[in-house]
Amino acid sequence: MEFVFFIIRRFLRLLLTIFIISTIIFFVIRVIPGDPALVVAGLDASEDDIQAIRVRLGTDVPVAVQYGRWLSDIVRFDFGESMISGASVNKLILERFPLTLTLAVLGILLGLIVAIPLGVLSAVHRWSFWDYFGMVYSQMGMAIPSFWLGMILLLVFAVKIPIFPLFGSDSLKNLILPAIALGFARAAVILRLTRAAMVEELNREYIITARAKGLTDRMIRYKHALKNAMIAVVTVTGIQFGYMLGGAIIVEQVFSLPGLGRLFLYAIYQRDFPLIQGGVVFIAVVFSLVNFTVDILYSVLNPKIRIS
Amino acid sequence: MRKAARFGLFLVIFLLLTGLLFAAGAKEEKPLNFALSGNPDTLDPQKTSGTLTFQTVKSIYDTLAEPDENGVIVPALAESWDVSPDSLTWTFHLRKGVTFHNGDTFTSADVKASFERILAEETASPHKSGMSIVSSIDTPNDMTVVFNLSGSHAPFLAFLASGWGAILPKSLIGSGHDFDSLPVGTGPFKLEEWVRDSKVVLVKNDDYWMKGLPKLNQIILNIIPETSIQVQGLIAGQIDIVFIIDSDDIAMLESSSDVKLEENLTSLIMVMPMNTSAAPLDDIRVRQAINYAIDKQQILDIAYGGGEPIGTFMDRGNAYYKDFTDLYPYNPEKAKALLKEAGIGDDVELKLYLPQNYALHVKAGEMYQEMLTQVGLNVKIQLIDWSTWISDVYRASKFDLTVIGHTGKLDPDGTLSGYGAGKYVQWFNDDAAELINKAAGTIGYEERKVLYDQALEFMAKEVPFVYLGSSYRTTGLRTDVNGFRITPNLDTFDFRWTEFK
Repeated sequence: MEFVFFIIRRFLRLLLTIFIISTIIFFVIRVIPGDPALVVAGLDASEDDIQAIRVRLGTDVPVAVQYGRWLSDIVRFDFGESMISGASVNKLILERFPLTLTLAVLGILLGLIVAIPLGVLSAVHRWSFWDYFGMVYSQMGMAIPSFWLGMILLLVFAVKIPIFPLFGSDSLKNLILPAIALGFARAAVILRLTRAAMVEELNREYIITARAKGLTDRMIRYKHALKNAMIAVVTVTGIQFGYMLGGAIIVEQVFSLPGLGRLFLYAIYQRDFPLIQGGVVFIAVVFSLVNFTVDILYSVLNPKIRIS
Repeated sequence: MRKAARFGLFLVIFLLLTGLLFAAGAKEEKPLNFALSGNPDTLDPQKTSGTLTFQTVKSIYDTLAEPDENGVIVPALAESWDVSPDSLTWTFHLRKGVTFHNGDTFTSADVKASFERILAEETASPHKSGMSIVSSIDTPNDMTVVFNLSGSHAPFLAFLASGWGAILPKSLIGSGHDFDSLPVGTGPFKLEEWVRDSKVVLVKNDDYWMKGLPKLNQIILNIIPETSIQVQGLIAGQIDIVFIIDSDDIAMLESSSDVKLEENLTSLIMVMPMNTSAAPLDDIRVRQAINYAIDKQQILDIAYGGGEPIGTFMDRGNAYYKDFTDLYPYNPEKAKALLKEAGIGDDVELKLYLPQNYALHVKAGEMYQEMLTQVGLNVKIQLIDWSTWISDVYRASKFDLTVIGHTGKLDPDGTLSGYGAGKYVQWFNDDAAELINKAAGTIGYEERKVLYDQALEFMAKEVPFVYLGSSYRTTGLRTDVNGFRITPNLDTFDFRWTEFK
């Protein structure tokens, strides 16, 4: 019963968040310079043509009326049509989502596979080779820009040793290099956090108690310390994952991938109001869902943290 | 045991199937892989002004007339046309036996419906005003279309031959077909698939009206935003044609024996427009000084990868081009003297707005700034995105200086229309405006040339722009690719004669 209330409360909070965010973005994109009708019109259209385009796009009426129309549409889950391409915003976003989701999942998985073992090793064997290795890696991971890493990966594994495709988005093979480019930096962040959390846990008093009880080092480290350290890791991973879904714009650009990032980037460039609005709402929903999942994971990791 | 047997059987079938698929794939001729630098906004040529759209749909749609390799407008879907002596009635005799990709037979009704679609309020076409001269369209029979004009209008043929003059099937226009994403034309290729931001796949139209064309079976326009990836793809053989090669990449490609480079003069008019409505740029001496201060050839060579200077607002290769390059040669001393005379020092700040999405213009803008600083001007650069440029700079004239390249037009009226009567540089010259208007209503090259020469002279002398030049464009092709054409003035891709040798 408590859980049902929790869900309902979270759902209401999500609706409120979406309402506030969408209202802000609705007005912000109309305040900044740039009129989508002029983008469609190009350089040669006449004033009359431009006015006709405004009528077609619905930007000829006062902003308050546009806002009312938009609100009444989104309660029916209709995000309208792109002003630039005429395609349905829902369709454009859902078309791109699988690719970006796959990319983000792969990126996070790669990041976790590298970061958690390395982080734990670094914490357990402080000032060992693995610890230094981890430190160097995390410094590099945070310093190397993903577009540079992406370019290098392409030059090495698609040009010099052509085992991966240079462009295209037809198969999972196209996503391996971009996932590495994405995951590399994520791993660096998660690695540092894992190490710090692990070190902190290992210094806690319950570890001494556990040791006094005669538990093995293995049990202490991996059953008690790691599990508690994971709470911080899960939080950060969730946030990182959310960001990646918001669009790995740079990586998509380098790898010519038709993901959400590029969709939204060009929408902003071209002042495609409905697509920007739809995109922001979509990302807000995804962020909320990720946060929700993180909260559930907390209670799994530590039953003391009750969902409330 | 049975499980293993079943798995074995499955494996055999699977292998057989993939083998068959590969065998079937191997028989087909290889597709042409083209690197497209961005995603077309839409595939409906009547609803957009985007170059990428026109470049893509050139292969899908035909127009009544089209520019040939030399930019001369020749018959296409119309076999011939007559113009009445008062040049108000244009009669087009249509080609017989042409079919649309959906099987419809091409008739005069399709022509009428297509142009009426541009005029329709709900289409809101950016090209509608270009058609305002047409008072009615008649279809006396299936193979004849008559356009009745309300005035003599020389650019009319060029309008029909431009990308937005595409002929769509009437049956689909009436049924609310989604032309934005599913174009249906009479062109040499049909759209097979468009994966937005990834690729456009075109397949041969076997019933194309030009005998023996097109030669390719399939074209894949791969949308690759990063130029370095385009170039790497070209070297590796995954890409067959890269339309524009950055000057930085030329040396690397020259060393590849699998790639050939072709250099063409573009029909671009590269300029630094000046807002003549406000001080100090309303003073012609300041604008002249700015023109003297710029080493035009150097900016062309370094920022734009080479080109030929122009001295007025017309592209270098155009039949209506007139040379005024001697008017304001590079002379910083003279620039300083003129600025002194006008009383302009570095206390006056000039804002130079650069469209940040266009790296070449940004590079050129930095060079302009440097050269203007040399003669004692105070120029501040501000980067803005394209939407802001088009809204604030181009439509609202909120700028002092900016850098842009105007694309070529099939008719000089497309280039010059509106100048002398304001436009974004706010340059007013009634004589020039009248000449430009008169030239639009005059038929005949010689007759028009006299008028445009005078108008271009006004523009050259009163310098609402720094006229830089028309740049070169280097296209990279795999050595086995032949017959790739670029439509003059329109810069669209013509794959009809393209083949592998």
